[in-house]
Amino acid sequence: MTTPGVEIEGLTVGYDDVTALDDVSLSVTDGEFFTLVGPSGCGKTTTLRSIAGLESPDRGTVSIGGRGVTGEPPEDRETGIVFQNYALFPHMSVRENVAYGLQFRDSPARDDDERVTELLELVEVADLADRDPDQLSGGQQQRVALARALAPEPAVLLLDEPLSALDAQLRQRLRVQIKRIQSELGITTVYVTHDQAEALAISDRVAVMREGRVEQVATPETVYREPATRFVAEFVGDNNVFDGVVAPDGMRATVGDAAIALPADSDRDRGESVAVAVRPEAITVGRDGSDTAATERTVFLRATVETVEFLGDAYRVHCEWQGRTLVVKTDADEPPAGEVALRVDPADVRAL
Amino acid sequence: MDARVDRLALPVGVIATLATLLVVFYYPVGSVLVGAVRAGGQLSLVPLRAVLGDPFYADLFGFTAYQALLSTVASVLVGLPGAYLLARFEFPGRRFLRSVTILPFVLPSIMVAVGFLAMFGRTGLFNDLLAVVGLGPVELTFTLEIIVLAHAFYNAPLVTRLVTAAWESVDARRVETARTLGASPLVAFRDVVAPQLLPALLTAAVLTFLFTFMSFPIVLALGGLEFATVEVWLFARVRDLALTEAATLGAIETALSLGLIYVYLRFEAMQLRAGGGSRSIGREPLLAGWRSLLDPRRLALLCYGGVVLVLFVGPLASLVVESVTTPEGQFTTDYYAFLLAQQASAATGTVQPVPAITNSLLFAAGALVLALPMGVVVSVVAARETRGSRVAEALLTAPLAVSGIVLGLGMLRTLVFGTELFGHRLTVTGPVAIVAAHAVAGYPFVTRTVTPALRAIDDRLVDAARSLGASRTTALLDVELPLIAAALVAGAAFAVAISIGEFDTTVLLAEGVDSATMPVALERYTGNRSLGPNLGPATAMGTVLLAVTTVSFVVIDRVGGRWER
Repeated sequence: MTTPGVEIEGLTVGYDDVTALDDVSLSVTDGEFFTLVGPSGCGKTTTLRSIAGLESPDRGTVSIGGRGVTGEPPEDRETGIVFQNYALFPHMSVRENVAYGLQFRDSPARDDDERVTELLELVEVADLADRDPDQLSGGQQQRVALARALAPEPAVLLLDEPLSALDAQLRQRLRVQIKRIQSELGITTVYVTHDQAEALAISDRVAVMREGRVEQVATPETVYREPATRFVAEFVGDNNVFDGVVAPDGMRATVGDAAIALPADSDRDRGESVAVAVRPEAITVGRDGSDTAATERTVFLRATVETVEFLGDAYRVHCEWQGRTLVVKTDADEPPAGEVALRVDPADVRAL
Repeated sequence: MDARVDRLALPVGVIATLATLLVVFYYPVGSVLVGAVRAGGQLSLVPLRAVLGDPFYADLFGFTAYQALLSTVASVLVGLPGAYLLARFEFPGRRFLRSVTILPFVLPSIMVAVGFLAMFGRTGLFNDLLAVVGLGPVELTFTLEIIVLAHAFYNAPLVTRLVTAAWESVDARRVETARTLGASPLVAFRDVVAPQLLPALLTAAVLTFLFTFMSFPIVLALGGLEFATVEVWLFARVRDLALTEAATLGAIETALSLGLIYVYLRFEAMQLRAGGGSRSIGREPLLAGWRSLLDPRRLALLCYGGVVLVLFVGPLASLVVESVTTPEGQFTTDYYAFLLAQQASAATGTVQPVPAITNSLLFAAGALVLALPMGVVVSVVAARETRGSRVAEALLTAPLAVSGIVLGLGMLRTLVFGTELFGHRLTVTGPVAIVAAHAVAGYPFVTRTVTPALRAIDDRLVDAARSLGASRTTALLDVELPLIAAALVAGAAFAVAISIGEFDTTVLLAEGVDSATMPVALERYTGNRSLGPNLGPATAMGTVLLAVTTVSFVVIDRVGGRWER
């Protein structure tokens, strides 16, 4: 964690009266696949564009590879950027697109030709080298855009929602390929997406952003299992989040007329309001109290099944529980129906 | 260094463009307006009262508005079926027809006037056609009818063009939704399509009224002083050097046209722009076997085709035919020989053809050199931001409100007769003023062609180029310029065509015979029958003009907007 990749310190960007970025600091290690994820307007793209030098921050500094680049124009920053809409130069062939950035480096022209061929092979579009961009499919265009960004061997690769314009299947295939190429080249990568599943799937670390601020920076596993804030808990993955009050014993939270056991390490004052989060897959659908593994602190919630979605490997069950909707994921062979008892173990509960 | 060029280029261009416009447009026109409220060096309402209180002028304005109204009605009647045909039917040549609707913009009006004389004159093709079916002859020369027809020739394509575009922008899914909700085709048309066509139709009608209100060469050549409009009378007053009266007339006319421009802009703003992903309503094949000809709609369109042939193809074809035909119907090249002959012996005061052609080309080259950078600068401002685009829109629309005669009068008063500046008397020669006037007339066309091309360029293309190592200027040269190159060529062709065809200002500024252009020569030949027994020399000169403007049109049509998406 010592080699510098990208360092952002106190970045603040405002448009007119709106603050797009509010004092954002991030540190991306060399060779890391780092993802900025959040809903639209959270400032993720503004952060990316500030790294590229396409945005002029009001305050704050950016350094790339240990070199301060704040105030430098984009062409001097050694970044490679890929946009959602590909942004290939329509009047140049695929080969000319990929070669474009090479003319600004000092290297013999012959090496450039080899470099272009090598990159087109890397992204598996070598046979399309002489086509025009408008003759390519979306996926092919995005591969070319990736090759173009990588060609001048940038210090950092910036990907701005590169897969969002593609259909679901292609999106999954291409993200595996991006991940493979990234780890082969070992290039520091900052990836922007609004798709939390994509962020979890592809990243070494994730920064969840909201309204111009960073909510949590952690590995995908940590973000999923131990969300730092209620926003992260609700934004990342399916979740059941309920408002409650810490019970007089300090060990439980009262939600409606149920008392849900809080995890042992939660340190809350009685009477304090608390948000309780339980993942759908952590809840088991069972019969009333018949479960022998239940401890004293296990909670059973009586709920009514309302809607069932079949997912292939599981069912997602939407239940009505005391006027609230509770989502449960179960791998049972038959979809549950009617009255059910939902079992919640304290170890699976997060207090936020 | 490079960064400094990046930052300074645009402001310098903007200042240079504004300064040019100020000197060659706003200052001259302003002097005309001021001239209308001055008498004896003092602010005075006397000139305005003199004109407004004179029943002769009331009649003049009344007639001008009346013929403009008739022309507008005729243009809408001729133009609307065209929009229906182009928007709703598929047939070979549809795209060509659609692009031909911009042709009138580049056809010199004095040439069209000569074409109308050739077509609808006593010995013209129209009377020959009537004779075939046992009718006629009809005498249309120097009538209101021929003026209105010629105005329809110019403005019906405008109606067709604007309404077709609006029709194509109607999202088919809206119509389909209405149909599934229970609307019959006719009701769906009334409730969904018509409300979207109406603003386009009103826009076209107001523009037509404005153009025909200020129409000059058509009325001059086809109506003479008998059917004088404000513009023709204005011209006559300037010729007689009654400059104060002319200025007053010009000021009133400009005020009226500014009002019309305001209405035009309001209607234009009402038009809906097609959102992304909208799908146009599908077209029916125009002909599907002989049986389909029995369909009344198709039968009506067939008749419409006949009208179009007579009204649009007729004058241009007659122009060409007359230029190689003697009054006895023999083939001749005498008229072209006349054009090429160096008439050393010609009486003074006669416009010589070869110098006129040379002048036209020189002025066009000069106007292009001025108009292209001006137009591009305004485009860049317009494409950058919304506020800039509003200012640009105002700059571009202002020349529409000022007639060529008023601009010419203003230039005479200020630049040509001389202006006192810091104790020096500055005068500009006629040719320089002509080039400036042509540039002012041409640059809005450059901007209107280039702006959509610039807007269509995704900002991210430049972002991508810059992060790959290109400076702002390099990105401009490598990415933006190649993508607007086609539009630039089309804009240049427009500017050249406008300059070659410009008559109104030129005829005032080219008072001597030395700086006459092709359109001016054409008008002289039409008026002066001593040169030949018929329209011969005029039609020959007209045919040359037609050839030049057709080349411009082909350039605009073939290369223009290739990258517009």
